[in-house]
Amino acid sequence: MPVLPKSKIPQEAEIPTASMADIAFLLIIFFMTSTVFMRDKGLKLVLPEKAGGQVVKIGGERVIRVSINDVGEIYLEEENITSLSDLKEKLANRILDYKAKHEGKDPLIIIRTNVEAPYEKMIEVFDVIKQIPEAKAVSLASIKTGG
Amino acid sequence: MRLKQKVTTRVNIPTASMSDIAFLLLLFFLVTTKFRKEIGFKVLLPEARATERIIKTENLARIYINSKGQISVDDFLVNPEGVASRFKLKVLENPGVIAYIKADKRVKYDYVDQVLEALRDAKALRVIFATEFKKG
Repeated sequence: MPVLPKSKIPQEAEIPTASMADIAFLLIIFFMTSTVFMRDKGLKLVLPEKAGGQVVKIGGERVIRVSINDVGEIYLEEENITSLSDLKEKLANRILDYKAKHEGKDPLIIIRTNVEAPYEKMIEVFDVIKQIPEAKAVSLASIKTGG
Repeated sequence: MRLKQKVTTRVNIPTASMSDIAFLLLLFFLVTTKFRKEIGFKVLLPEARATERIIKTENLARIYINSKGQISVDDFLVNPEGVASRFKLKVLENPGVIAYIKADKRVKYDYVDQVLEALRDAKALRVIFATEFKKG
């Protein structure tokens, strides 16, 4: 019986790579859509330096006080303020008044928050002040009850 | 008269290297993605209209204050003195460090005030209060 010679054609092994791009793009799209970006955002403030021996005194007239008491009520100087839009308007007027009287000098606004007040209230007031473009100098202070 | 033979030209886009491009993109994003280091607390942030986006986030050092008044820095539960000592080191490492305070809106102002005092002690004077955009 004649033996047939084995076919000499080498068998080529092939990996189908045509769909590889699809797979890779699918992976990219999956990661793009499933990623949650944590954007950092907030209100900026620069704290005053701790006085090393020298204390800078500011004239009482230059200071505009916004106070928050222990239950979260807001006072502009002595006046009770009920709405935040009201506070914005009145504070802006006060700043413009001061500027007109003192050759364009900026007044200093101090937010005095009672230590018992919720943090949210302080941010609400700070937010209002940030929205007034004339308010340049803002400082934070705290009121301790009974002290 | 000679008839012109119609030549059909085949247009094909080489797609063999498409997968290389796609994987390269994937690798690029994998390598450049930075993961947040600390876990911190889950806090309910206050809302503010004047909220600004912070673009440079490399200098931020996060301080978490939860609704019970616990303070966490670099995933360590610390007291205000601990905040001061940790931030003293941070200021030495990077003088442009910005303290990013993520405090729960229900927390008493007292705790925030103590942290602010500690930051002043540590001479870390640049502070950002974390807030959410206010809708409406």
